[in-house]
Amino acid sequence: MQSGRLLLRKAWSALLTIGFVLVLNFFLFRVLPGDPARAGIKDPRMTRAAQIAIHQRFGLDKPVLNCLASLNPLRRGPCLVNPLQTQLFIYINNLLHGELGISYHNKIPVGELVRARLWNTAVLVSAGQALAIVLGIAGGVLAAWQAHTRIDYAALITSLVAWSMPTFWLGLILLFWGSRYAGLPIGGQHTPGLAAAGTVDQLRDAVRHLVLPTLTQTIIYLAEYLLIMRSTMLDVLAEDYILTAKAKGLSTFQVLKDHALRNAALPIITIVALNLGFTVAGAVQIEAVFSWPGLGQAIYESVARRDYPVLQGAFLLLAISVIVANLLADLLYTWLDPRVQAPA
Amino acid sequence: MRLPCRLRLMLLCVLLGACTAAPTPQPLAVARVGYGGSPDTVNPGTAVLTEAYTMFALVYDALYTYNFDGTYSLSLAESVDRSADGLTYTYKIRSGIKFHDGQPLTARDVAFTYNLNKAHTEYPYMNPYTRYMESITAPDDTTVVIRLNTAIPNIESQLVFQYVLPAHVWQAHADGAAAVEFENEAMIGSGPFKLLEYKQGEFVRLGANKQHFSRPPKVDEVIFQTFANSDALVQAISTGQVDMITELPNTAAEKLGQTLNVKVVSAAPFAPAVSDIIFNQATRESCPSESACTGNVALQDRQVRLALAHATNKQQLIDVVLQGKGTPGLTLIPNGLGMWFNDSLKDYEYDPAKANQILDDAGYEYKGDIRCAAVPCVYGDPPMNFRMYWPSDSADAPRMAELLAGMWKEIGVGLQPQAIDPDALTALCCPAFDFDIILWGWGSDPDPNMLLNVMRTESISTGSSETGYSNARYDALYDQQVVELDLQKRKDLVWEMQRQVHEDVVYIIPYYDMQVQALRTDRFSGWILDQPKLDLSDVSSLVNITPVK
Repeated sequence: MQSGRLLLRKAWSALLTIGFVLVLNFFLFRVLPGDPARAGIKDPRMTRAAQIAIHQRFGLDKPVLNCLASLNPLRRGPCLVNPLQTQLFIYINNLLHGELGISYHNKIPVGELVRARLWNTAVLVSAGQALAIVLGIAGGVLAAWQAHTRIDYAALITSLVAWSMPTFWLGLILLFWGSRYAGLPIGGQHTPGLAAAGTVDQLRDAVRHLVLPTLTQTIIYLAEYLLIMRSTMLDVLAEDYILTAKAKGLSTFQVLKDHALRNAALPIITIVALNLGFTVAGAVQIEAVFSWPGLGQAIYESVARRDYPVLQGAFLLLAISVIVANLLADLLYTWLDPRVQAPA
Repeated sequence: MRLPCRLRLMLLCVLLGACTAAPTPQPLAVARVGYGGSPDTVNPGTAVLTEAYTMFALVYDALYTYNFDGTYSLSLAESVDRSADGLTYTYKIRSGIKFHDGQPLTARDVAFTYNLNKAHTEYPYMNPYTRYMESITAPDDTTVVIRLNTAIPNIESQLVFQYVLPAHVWQAHADGAAAVEFENEAMIGSGPFKLLEYKQGEFVRLGANKQHFSRPPKVDEVIFQTFANSDALVQAISTGQVDMITELPNTAAEKLGQTLNVKVVSAAPFAPAVSDIIFNQATRESCPSESACTGNVALQDRQVRLALAHATNKQQLIDVVLQGKGTPGLTLIPNGLGMWFNDSLKDYEYDPAKANQILDDAGYEYKGDIRCAAVPCVYGDPPMNFRMYWPSDSADAPRMAELLAGMWKEIGVGLQPQAIDPDALTALCCPAFDFDIILWGWGSDPDPNMLLNVMRTESISTGSSETGYSNARYDALYDQQVVELDLQKRKDLVWEMQRQVHEDVVYIIPYYDMQVQALRTDRFSGWILDQPKLDLSDVSSLVNITPVK
């Protein structure tokens, strides 16, 4: 009963946050300078009539809000406009109908674009994160168990070096190394023109394209997970109940699995959950290096092009993913640690 | 068991047949192009990016084609007849041409396309190409009649990029918002290549149209694959994952040229381009309403701009910024525009002493290390410390700004360099005129009208003018050349306009960049390399290449 109420409260606060993000998203991008109708086009052939037509098509001719024609430059507008005819209302109304609008640049529905890109990012992120989580936790546990030995020092130094490396730089190094010495593809999700090839060939090709970006992501996150896991495990392993477990004659594996790992898992679960939420956007650099057609790259391109609908759609998705990931972390926490409960 | 002799013979034949006569499928000749961008859309009406136009040139046909020497040739049209008053053009369209879906291409498709472009003002580039067209009709399947509202000398440049669309496909999307919302995914054209697969931001896969009336490709497919950064492009060609790349940083050219089986080529770009140093000259009088016009007043003085021109070492800029791959600039009309480029002009020689003398003579005094921006200089007058902006996506501008800061410091001019997001820069630039100096550039149409228009007074309020330059004589010359039908007379007018703006030092043109591209010599031969201009992704090269045996 109490946990049901807790769940409801958390879901309600998540919904409120999403609502806040919805409105913030709208204003955030309109504060940026520049005219989406002319974004990236510095060309005298583009007539005033064309600019006006583009404004009308995307509803940019309407005031942002009553009394506010635009946010950058800040320009006052008429106050007696029908509120239903302001950009903010149209935006919210469309969202409530499940419409994210049409991309100014690509001229296709944002929902379609974001869905395709999100899937690509999900493939990349899930492969990289899965490897990083498994290896990071295992490495952290091993390093802690073998604390102050050569294994521990090697793990510690390697992790620190990997964690300090800029993602973009590491990606470029792997790109050069992987393409020259391992013959791996440099960019993209698959080799263009392979549509007619067999399923096995296509699958092999897809895996080959995944190797380098996944490796980059794995190295970066593995280091973070390993360091956190090691540190928490060291604390847990110093507890009395671990000594008791050892004294009972349990095997090393049992001590680690049943007594240490579960208690040490709390911080790592928080970090993993938060990272999973953020990595949708955090893959921007990896996607840029490996020409991976994901959501991160779409955001990067859309900022330069002032493509408000794509930015709004993508940021909404990012916000939802972070909020949902947080919610999941909270729930997992409650399940893993019964001490974390709602106040009586 | 012994088989009868005849049966044994038959069995032997079958076995031999299985071993030798089985048809081995010929591997397709697929040329892979590494591309730095991707089309924004494949709807020719709404597209704005160069990458989209590269695809249109391969998939569609137009009445004319543009040649490397700057001339035009008839393409879909086999003849043209101009009326004596220059107002009516009658084109005879080739018969027997088919779209990729097998439907015939007729004069009605041509007329439909031009009327479609004319009807939609929201087509940013296609619509302006129809501005001189009064009416377009197709009295029969092979005749198109274009009636103009003004006799113009450059009908070819108005038609060369208006790609002929199939009316039977577009008819259902011709009216209202449908014309801009139509995604044109099948991209049915009649050109040398047909669209096989298109993934926005990833690749465009084109198949050969071997039945093309004038330029059937020799390869089977061409794939344009998008790479998100130039390092990946360079690596892709050096490892053989692509056969040609359309761009690379000049800094990578030398090293890449030493790679086995890779050839780096450079020449003037087929699509003319120019880099410019823009001075804000908008005065209080010429400043459009709602514009900031915050330019340093010193830049409105020709003597200051002249001194800056004399203090600019263009050769050093070319050597350092472009690694030698460029030629000194002169006017906004680049040398790539052939006969329209006024090469008779004498550039302002690099001479810092002379530049200093000009500023001294004009009365600009030093205030510390930097001169005062006003004459006479009184307390509170600003120094000649100019805000210099450039688009943050420019690879060359930061180095150029650094060099200019060093050069101009010698004459008492300071700079506050800053990279700015391109869109934000457009907002600062024009028609806001909220800057002092911008490092930017232009890509040009084959006709000089587009760039000449940039310096007109009328362009100040529309946002096309980036300098705020206003000269009644220049405006009058522009109006004359727009309707001058005599080629030589028009050329004289265009040259005179360039002389005028050169005299007024409206811009400093530091250089004309070269196009730098790279190709694999072990994959395909036949790339067009013997022309004064270069574009390996142009249809002329892609229909001509054949696999290396």
